[in-house]
Amino acid sequence: MKTVKDHSSASDEELVQGAKKGDTGAFEELVARHRDKIYARAFSMMRNEDEATDLSQEAWVKSWQRLKQFQGESSFGTWMTRIVINLCLDHLRRRKRQRTESIEEMDEESGGVERQMPVVTANPTERLERAELRKRIDEALNLLSHEHRTVLVLHEFEEMEYKEIARTMECSIGTVMSRLFYARRKMAALLANLKSEELR
Amino acid sequence: MNHDAQLKLQAYRDGELPAAEAAEVQSWLARDAEARSLLAELEHTAKALSGNEAELKLPESREFFWSKIEREIQRLEQPATRDPAREISWTAWVRQQFAPLAGLASLAIVLGLLIAHPGGRSSVADSGVIDLALASDDMGAHTFRDQDQRITVVWLDDRTQDSEFTTPEPFASVQPE
Repeated sequence: MKTVKDHSSASDEELVQGAKKGDTGAFEELVARHRDKIYARAFSMMRNEDEATDLSQEAWVKSWQRLKQFQGESSFGTWMTRIVINLCLDHLRRRKRQRTESIEEMDEESGGVERQMPVVTANPTERLERAELRKRIDEALNLLSHEHRTVLVLHEFEEMEYKEIARTMECSIGTVMSRLFYARRKMAALLANLKSEELR
Repeated sequence: MNHDAQLKLQAYRDGELPAAEAAEVQSWLARDAEARSLLAELEHTAKALSGNEAELKLPESREFFWSKIEREIQRLEQPATRDPAREISWTAWVRQQFAPLAGLASLAIVLGLLIAHPGGRSSVADSGVIDLALASDDMGAHTFRDQDQRITVVWLDDRTQDSEFTTPEPFASVQPE
């Protein structure tokens, strides 16, 4: 009789070792533990439920295939997140090649309007409940171009340095700095607008 | 404030400047209110974002999501199986595409030789039916040369359809010399 091993008490490292030996039960437990985080990262970049679900599934399959390459330099969750980020970026690049440049992208190249925007002096997120703040940030992220959103996600949520973002996004450090600056300025304006709309 | 100065301020905020440059920015901040307010805005935004990403859940059950992953893994790990039906159709396609080309190439060679040596002695008989070797086993070619009439007739036949062609059908053509 086949016995089903209980993996729920095993650490990620133990599960990775098991999965490397072909234990799909161990891998299933890893999927169950990290699937929401991986999906959330895909969604933060794609802003589309179906695409985020498909890409996170693809990331899991890819990680199974590449598991032997994972040597534990970072946590398993971080390694998985990098896989899904790269898949999302590939997807976005393919999509970009298929369409003409947007006005937002042209703005970005020419300096954009963000540089001339007045500085938001008051903290627009002060005294907000955490759930409300999260909701607002999510709404504001939705209004950014994917280049601005991605650089913001990688810097603020993934805590990547400029150099690492440049490598991941296949662009120069100067472009990363520029995009991050515009993204933050837009974000500040959007959060301020969302607050003033609410007060009206 | 120019764009380079804005980016330098941001790099200072993000701890990406070397110590010497960071010290320069600090003294600049001490005397420039505009720089201080821009730095404050960058700080507010970064702090608002930090740790406040929306908490999302995958909109599929654990079992369903895993079943899709497991199926895909199994599909990818299956040894590449040979599909005879697919192979047959592939070879048929190649045959269909290249057999006529091979036939035409052979025809061109034969005609070229005959044109190049119109009056000379040939290794073939002066009159009669000759079998030619072709690049493709699927095609057959026969020529008939009549020195008196100064014509050459070339037949091509499709050997893949023997049951339909009991005798060579003229496929091409009379070549007057």
